[in-house]
Amino acid sequence: MSHQTAEKRVNYLGVFILLAVFTLVETLASYLQQTAIKFPVLIALSLAKAVLVLLYFMHLKFDSRIFSYLFIAGCVLSIPLILVMIFVMPVIANY
Amino acid sequence: MSETTNSIPVPQSENTKFGMWVFLGGEAVFFISLILVLLLTRFVNSNYEAEFRSLLSIPIIAINTFILLTSSYFVVRSLEAIGVGNQKGMRNNLIGVLVLGLLFLGGQAIEWSSLFRDGMNYSTTFGMPFFTVTGIHGTHVFIGVLWAVYILVGNRHLPYTKGNHLGIENFGLYWHFVDIVWIVLFTLIYLI
Repeated sequence: MSHQTAEKRVNYLGVFILLAVFTLVETLASYLQQTAIKFPVLIALSLAKAVLVLLYFMHLKFDSRIFSYLFIAGCVLSIPLILVMIFVMPVIANY
Repeated sequence: MSETTNSIPVPQSENTKFGMWVFLGGEAVFFISLILVLLLTRFVNSNYEAEFRSLLSIPIIAINTFILLTSSYFVVRSLEAIGVGNQKGMRNNLIGVLVLGLLFLGGQAIEWSSLFRDGMNYSTTFGMPFFTVTGIHGTHVFIGVLWAVYILVGNRHLPYTKGNHLGIENFGLYWHFVDIVWIVLFTLIYLI
């Protein structure tokens, strides 16, 4: 779907305001004392912002799903790297 | 075949957009690896808070984050403008992106100078992954700024039109991706 069609549906200013508010909340939350809930809240806000940009600014919500698969593939391909770094690198370092 | 959004194939005219998404998938692998190194360094060494995080200026970086988010909004406005054939709107918003991109780089330069003054450099435990990740991200922003200049100059010779502006859309995808990387870095480096 072309972005012109998407533009008719998306309130870009609304998305931007939401992103700005999330950033403000995140920044203020970072000054709070370290609690069990602080870490998951900050991660959730960060993920929400990334998803908003992907879906609306990058039009993944309206474009062909192939584009979403390509991006997800990149993230999935990182999993072996993550596992190697977490489990193999410390072993090599100690060896 | 049902006419749902998900069943729409990629039109041949959007081949370059397909290529851009392949590129961004590769970039995702690249940045996730870098971020992981940064996180491992942080969690293996318990003195992150005292040695490094206390040196970071969250207000400056929060403003920088807001600048980058605003630039992303200008990109969609630019695309929106050319989508209805508004050349002037496209150009003005793109100039806004360019200026905000340069402001972001300026903010990063201020932050780096401050860290250097405090004795942080590339050879320190936390400095190495920090300067690598933020430096590579900054390089991406700089490339984006050059790309915006290229579009603005190129548009004078061969103007984008209502029906032909995939070049701007691809630039937008790149810029938004760089924005997403910063959204993640902002949380992982500065806030947590």
